[in-house]
Amino acid sequence: MDTHEKNKNKSELDRRELLSHLSKTGAGALAVVLVGGGVISMLRSASASTSASTGKRKFRYGMVIDTRRCVGCEACVVACKAENKTPPGVFNNIVLKEPDKKSSVEKPLFMSRPCFHCENPPCVPACPKDATYKRESDGIVVVDYDRCVGYQDCIDACPYGARTFDEGKDYPAVTEKTPYAQVPSPEYNQFRLREGDTKTEEKVRKCTFCLHLQDQEGRYDKKAGRWPACAKTCTGHAIHFGDFNDPDSDVSKLLKERKSIRLKENLGTQPNVYYLV
Amino acid sequence: MYIFDEKIGRRKFIRDVAAASAVTAVGLGTNSLAKTEKSPEKSKGKKKKAIPQELAVNAAGKKHWGREAGEWIPTCCNMCGGQSGVLVHVVDGVVEKIEPNHWNPNNYSNISTDFFDGYTEAYGCKEGGAICPKGNAGIMQLYDPDRIKKPLKRTNPDKSPGADPKWKEISWDEALDEIAQKMRTLRDAGEAQKLLWMSEDHSFTHVQGDFCTLYGTPNYVMHSNICDVARKASFKAVMGDDRPLADFLQSNYILLFGWNPSSAIKWVHLPRILTRGIEKGAKLVVVDPYLSDTAAKAHEWVSIRPATDGALALAMGHVIVHDKLYNKEFVKNWTVGFKEYSEFVKDKTPAWAEKITSVPAKTIERLAKEVAKAKAACIDVWSGPGQHSNGVQGGRAIAMLGALVGGYDRPGTLVSPDKKGNKHGHCDPTEDAAKTKKLPTFDEAKKYPLGHSSGVYTQMFENLAEDKGPYKPKMMMCVFQNPMMSIPGPATVAKAISKLETFVVIDTMLSETAKLADYVLPGTTYLERYDLNTHWVTWGCMALRQPVVKPLFGQLAEYEVVAALGRRLKLKDHEGKEFFKVGPLSGKPIEDLKGWYEDFLSNEVKKGAPGMTLAELKALPGAVWVDKKGTRYEKYKNVLAEDKLKTAWFDGDPKTEGTGIYDKPKDKGGKRIGIVVGGKPVQGFATSSGKVELYAKWMIDKKDAQGRPVNPLPEYTPRDWMPSADYPFYHINWKEASHTHTRTQNNPWLLDLKSENPLIMHPLAAKRLNVRTGDVVWLESPYGKVKGKVKVSKRIHPEVVGLQHGFGHTALGKKAAGVGTSDASLRPTKSDALSGQALHKEACVRIVKA
Repeated sequence: MDTHEKNKNKSELDRRELLSHLSKTGAGALAVVLVGGGVISMLRSASASTSASTGKRKFRYGMVIDTRRCVGCEACVVACKAENKTPPGVFNNIVLKEPDKKSSVEKPLFMSRPCFHCENPPCVPACPKDATYKRESDGIVVVDYDRCVGYQDCIDACPYGARTFDEGKDYPAVTEKTPYAQVPSPEYNQFRLREGDTKTEEKVRKCTFCLHLQDQEGRYDKKAGRWPACAKTCTGHAIHFGDFNDPDSDVSKLLKERKSIRLKENLGTQPNVYYLV
Repeated sequence: MYIFDEKIGRRKFIRDVAAASAVTAVGLGTNSLAKTEKSPEKSKGKKKKAIPQELAVNAAGKKHWGREAGEWIPTCCNMCGGQSGVLVHVVDGVVEKIEPNHWNPNNYSNISTDFFDGYTEAYGCKEGGAICPKGNAGIMQLYDPDRIKKPLKRTNPDKSPGADPKWKEISWDEALDEIAQKMRTLRDAGEAQKLLWMSEDHSFTHVQGDFCTLYGTPNYVMHSNICDVARKASFKAVMGDDRPLADFLQSNYILLFGWNPSSAIKWVHLPRILTRGIEKGAKLVVVDPYLSDTAAKAHEWVSIRPATDGALALAMGHVIVHDKLYNKEFVKNWTVGFKEYSEFVKDKTPAWAEKITSVPAKTIERLAKEVAKAKAACIDVWSGPGQHSNGVQGGRAIAMLGALVGGYDRPGTLVSPDKKGNKHGHCDPTEDAAKTKKLPTFDEAKKYPLGHSSGVYTQMFENLAEDKGPYKPKMMMCVFQNPMMSIPGPATVAKAISKLETFVVIDTMLSETAKLADYVLPGTTYLERYDLNTHWVTWGCMALRQPVVKPLFGQLAEYEVVAALGRRLKLKDHEGKEFFKVGPLSGKPIEDLKGWYEDFLSNEVKKGAPGMTLAELKALPGAVWVDKKGTRYEKYKNVLAEDKLKTAWFDGDPKTEGTGIYDKPKDKGGKRIGIVVGGKPVQGFATSSGKVELYAKWMIDKKDAQGRPVNPLPEYTPRDWMPSADYPFYHINWKEASHTHTRTQNNPWLLDLKSENPLIMHPLAAKRLNVRTGDVVWLESPYGKVKGKVKVSKRIHPEVVGLQHGFGHTALGKKAAGVGTSDASLRPTKSDALSGQALHKEACVRIVKA
């Protein structure tokens, strides 16, 4: 078995472990929440109201994901890879496809899952190196690759499985030095290549809401294509992105008009990603 | 939840769901990747919160590679046959990213009012277009290091599968000279018909068709007959259009038989219009032996035995007729054969169908009543039921339901698209070429009474393998096709190929088929070549595919190969013009092959509906021409234009209901252009009678390819191959969003989504066989056996096992080879005897623990 093959198998194993873990840790409960109308009311009703700390912020970026529109195609997963040039085993977003436990036929429920950029992100205090933090300007939780040494405590701390570890593996188009190998990742506007010092090997990777597409003032512009890659490609148009501080944004309006939930509300993480049910 | 961890002296996050409330512990878990080391800082006591700081920015990198750098080139995807629009970001000649093209309707909606609502020239459609996972992964197809880079010539005379071809790299000139020489020898001997040519059905087909015409072979065949020609035959026979399109968006009731539009995406607008239709109140019901990802979005999944959908439809028809729930106006004015149909379904009760389908009679009755009461129902069927030997008649029964409950071509039903786009220029062969071109086709396509112009691959390979058919072909060109994986019974395909003197494959990857070739030419991906794409939306729309980067290995695009061969053979048209040298639009010789093809395309765009040059098309927003006229409904009611009527010929009294209207007398080859309805000369439906046919009189004298009479009524007959004591399980396959056919299994981004194709098996079956998820089993049929990895799931009918099509490669690339299961060898090389549809889903197996 060549290295290539081994890497592939390992990567697949990692993913399978992840998925099996996901199914063990409560996707069933998720199904209950999504399906049982009565249970929804038991959750704290989701609201776009800002806490004291977010008031200072210029922007409060987040997503509203419509589960009824998500068809589970995973275009968002590949678009994220294409945008951020994430290597094998690194997934800044995934699509949960867990069987609805209430369904007698294992009907799956689809949910695109980016990082939730929580108001109270448990990953941040978990880092012994202060390499991950929530930006004051817009609430996006970032990783400072210059500080991250790959301890992965943040990976353990995230209750949503939103962080993955960059083991330094690469896709064949990179390892075999095709023209694509010279294309850097635009993450954090750092344009790192998969070689030498710039390689993010043994760092923790996560969704950045494609912040490299913001303008200098921190604004996105959908019409100019400066918009998170997952939201831009979504085949069901399920992923809404925007600024919760702006009452006229799509995301603010949707939260007002539609019933939504956040995952694991009881943990007090206050995700900035809501699901329409 | 947080607890204070005394040992590590800080608040620690506990992710054990058992510790949290049972109801609200909506766990998504965490990644359980193995750690490389533990953080030593943990023991150092409480740490201080660091002050966030700005991350370092690489301004030079942004300037060079950012969104504002380089070019965004509008073009069309071809990761599958859907051809949605894409914008490709190219920097320094390298593709950096692929995104949706918002100007292309195919990326958004198949209904024009929806597309134009909020459309601006500056941005395109209001909400922006989409592209599917495959479209996003096109970069990995382009930069696949396993691509074929140089022309290859076989040096090992042993052409059996698995034999090392002992490739020798040769130059392009050598390859083209040698291939042209083989063609010349055939042609000079008056045996041009002995060249077989097979290709994809939507990529550079016209130029290949022209080559075959001028060369003199009748044997140009295309992919469609291994795809959806059963559906084409069914709808064509019932309502006259071989590809009506479902208007989900405006529908109240969507009833799908064996179609998975939100996962086997193809046209990327499908997930949007389907979920939007539901959002607006439509009920979605999916009939399928497998709970597909589309069924996952449905209000109701109707689990059915494979290939019994026709019986279900007949029983629904029975209820609708019996309870008089049909649309009386439409049935009276726009159908023929209601009397025969009513008689026919009299004994096709729900109880009758329950025994056949396993769907409870009560469910059938309820579905019939629901769909009949819906204001606008979309009833559709694709390849699930289609790829079985009884698929065409079953499809007809389903298509007739649509007619009963409110007809076609209205908002929210199945709409006949106005196909407008480029026009294939006329090309007349020389007298010599015409002589061989007129010979019968080698695949005996004429034997199939509801056949399709794409031919019959299975018959072609079967004839070749078994020395049958009208003559003995000597050479085959195989372009962008992998019959060793995509045709049932690869042993027949291999045997057939071994009978050829010369077998040439053009492909980007060294596929299972390419490994059997005498010559392999490196093909191009869609990012390296041209094409014109007339889109599958309900109104006129045509987009350009253009090379966004130069072919990576300096290879010729497929159409350039065709032209280069044509030039070497000095192929002329009947006027003596060297066809592949002289630009069809400019009328002048064009030396450069690419330049010649640009002129060829320009001619097609100019003479087609857009009426512009290629350069003008390129300059349109998104490089797509969209007909402003938009979707037209109820076109069958359109009164024929005065000028057409002036020269028209009537086959009876012009005032009598049902009189046919022809462009010239019938005995002079007149084509029917309309019908008299309500005293008016209208367009009608493009069926033999001009109306929707619940009974097809013209089929009475027809025989199918096996010589059996064709029933003018959509009778249900069990498919030819049914489960037995020895082979008790139905075995089926399907498509999902993650892969296209057998082409994308070397694409690492798509393998990340789906790395293999487990065999889905119902828990009842698994219990009986004593197998569990992860177990490896043999699937055995009388034709072959393959290994599969079991996944136990209630998503499948208990009598059925099945898997996603496309895996199980032995070649193609390093990632693809050896992964997953191909089920092609479990089946014979066989087609449905009416349409020539390859039977990809008709197999019965037994399962034995490996």
